[in-house]
Amino acid sequence: MASAAAIKKAYIDFVLTHDEKPKSVYSFTKKLKITEADFYTFYASFESIEKSIWVELISETISEIQKQELWAQYSSRDKILSFFYSYVELLKANRSFVTYSLKTQKKKLGTPEVLSGVKPIFENFAEETINEGLESGELAERKFLSNRYKDALWIQYAFILNFWIDDNSEGFEKTDEAIEKGIQVTFDLFQRSPIDSLFEYGKFLTQNGKLKEKMGF
Amino acid sequence: MKAQETMPTTKVERSAKFVKTGFQIGGNYIKHYSKKLFNPELSRDELNEDNAADIYNSLSELKGSALKIAQMLSMDKNILPKAYVNKFTQSQYNAPPLSGPLIVRTFTKIFGKTPEKIFDKFNIKSTHAASIGQVHEAELNGKKLAIKIQYPGVGDSISSDLKLVKPFAFRLLGMSEKELNIYIKEVEERLLEETDYLLEVRRSVEFSVACSQLTDVVFPTYYPELSGNRIITMDWIEGLHLKEFLQTNPSQEVRNKIGQALWDFYNYQQHEMRKVHADPHPGNFIITNDNKLGVIDFGCIKEMPDDFYEPFFSLTSNNLFDNKEATIKAFRQLEMILPNDTAAQIEFYYTAYKEMISLFAKPYSTPTFDFSQVDFFEGLYNYGEKIAKMPEFKQARGVKHFIYINRTNFGLYSILHELKATVKTQTYTPKFK
Repeated sequence: MASAAAIKKAYIDFVLTHDEKPKSVYSFTKKLKITEADFYTFYASFESIEKSIWVELISETISEIQKQELWAQYSSRDKILSFFYSYVELLKANRSFVTYSLKTQKKKLGTPEVLSGVKPIFENFAEETINEGLESGELAERKFLSNRYKDALWIQYAFILNFWIDDNSEGFEKTDEAIEKGIQVTFDLFQRSPIDSLFEYGKFLTQNGKLKEKMGF
Repeated sequence: MKAQETMPTTKVERSAKFVKTGFQIGGNYIKHYSKKLFNPELSRDELNEDNAADIYNSLSELKGSALKIAQMLSMDKNILPKAYVNKFTQSQYNAPPLSGPLIVRTFTKIFGKTPEKIFDKFNIKSTHAASIGQVHEAELNGKKLAIKIQYPGVGDSISSDLKLVKPFAFRLLGMSEKELNIYIKEVEERLLEETDYLLEVRRSVEFSVACSQLTDVVFPTYYPELSGNRIITMDWIEGLHLKEFLQTNPSQEVRNKIGQALWDFYNYQQHEMRKVHADPHPGNFIITNDNKLGVIDFGCIKEMPDDFYEPFFSLTSNNLFDNKEATIKAFRQLEMILPNDTAAQIEFYYTAYKEMISLFAKPYSTPTFDFSQVDFFEGLYNYGEKIAKMPEFKQARGVKHFIYINRTNFGLYSILHELKATVKTQTYTPKFK
């Protein structure tokens, strides 16, 4: 009668009560009165439980926001904003686990192991949204650079998540501000700006090099 | 897409902004005085204009309370020279809108439902900005509603913004920081109250009931069950803002009617309620299609305690000025004359304040008053400029209640001036206990 959900629930309960992982899969399954084999049918390790919880959280967020009536009217900017607002709302219900899970990660550069399942999902969602924006002209197509837009959003993801972990404000209002301002500024950079015009002008001048000779340089 | 590209977010960034402005103002003074070396005739107008532009530019990049302070200063035409005022009044009209998703988020946080689920129709694009929020149009059961939504984090940034504004205020008003603190605190209290939308709803209901006998003033119905700490739902009032209204070239009769409604509204509050809607800037009023005055914002209310109301209004009524002793007593109660003043100082401030108040209370001295007169306002401005240059007035005087009461009355006068209205001034007169 072991199920993935039951194991997950027991695991969350254990780590939040003890503030650490169970000593071994053996001791964990014994307490749960299931066999080790049952455990391994669903999960390869404790880490994979945590990873799957994170994946569920983000998948649920994305499917939730796409159900909103306003979704179709939203610009790319609004879609990303909407994602983050809904995401932190969902995280709120699991704040203890989220905090525990991130806190126990070994400090290293790059993406924490528990988020390794989240990253491709987020990037996929971000890329889709960005492409819509590029097609509609909301965002500026830039050689090489527009492929990296999603990386900028992943950085925002990490920033917002960390900000939220440390946020003590009432109703996490500061996180709302961080999202609003951070995403606005990021999308402002994705938009066509004077730099694009300047760059194009520079390109034009170098391509029409004859000009230089004529002007006596 | 937006009114501005970036907004300085952290306190450090905001301070940097203010510091930069400080330098610019310094620069403007240097520019002014070096020009003056060669041309002694040069007036301070150009300098004031340079300063106003720089201060305005930096304030307009800040949101929330800094914007509010710009508004406040813009109302207090007594203290600020004209050039400042023109620039500052612009700040009443722009702020970048909240994103659609944040609006949805605010609703779900307060009501657990998205706006489309609460209302039959909800326009996600805001129709206009209020200084600490923005207004949306919605519909429910066939009724058109106005929904006011507050920017997040406004309350938090007020105190820190005020600290940042202090050096400015010091520069503009020429007061020391210690003297300024008591006034800054008063402003802070009012501003924080303004962020409490639940309080605003309660007050709006209270005032619209209390003022219901004023026939030419209308109030929207408020819906407390559809309001929360950052959202206010009220009826949509159809009509024009003052500026738009004036562009339609209304007849003198209509101007007088609106002016009278405004006058009655304020004097009724001051004397019957002893608390007053202290934010009379044109954006808070709507002229309805049947030419009534719609009042749509009760965020800022100033209550007048008896120890302020009684001496202050006794000055403008009861012929108190005929009695020098009684006048000085009232001035002492209002801390316009301080306990340590010498006999010469008492004489000086007595004369100066008497002149100031007589000038200011002029509309009350005749049964009707024509607010289109330029002379009256020139007189006020000139007097303001004159005392701003007097060393005796570098020192703060007067109880803290003056800030908002002056602001209210100057605001009232300047709207009436824009309306070019003639009003009956003795409809509601001071009442003493």
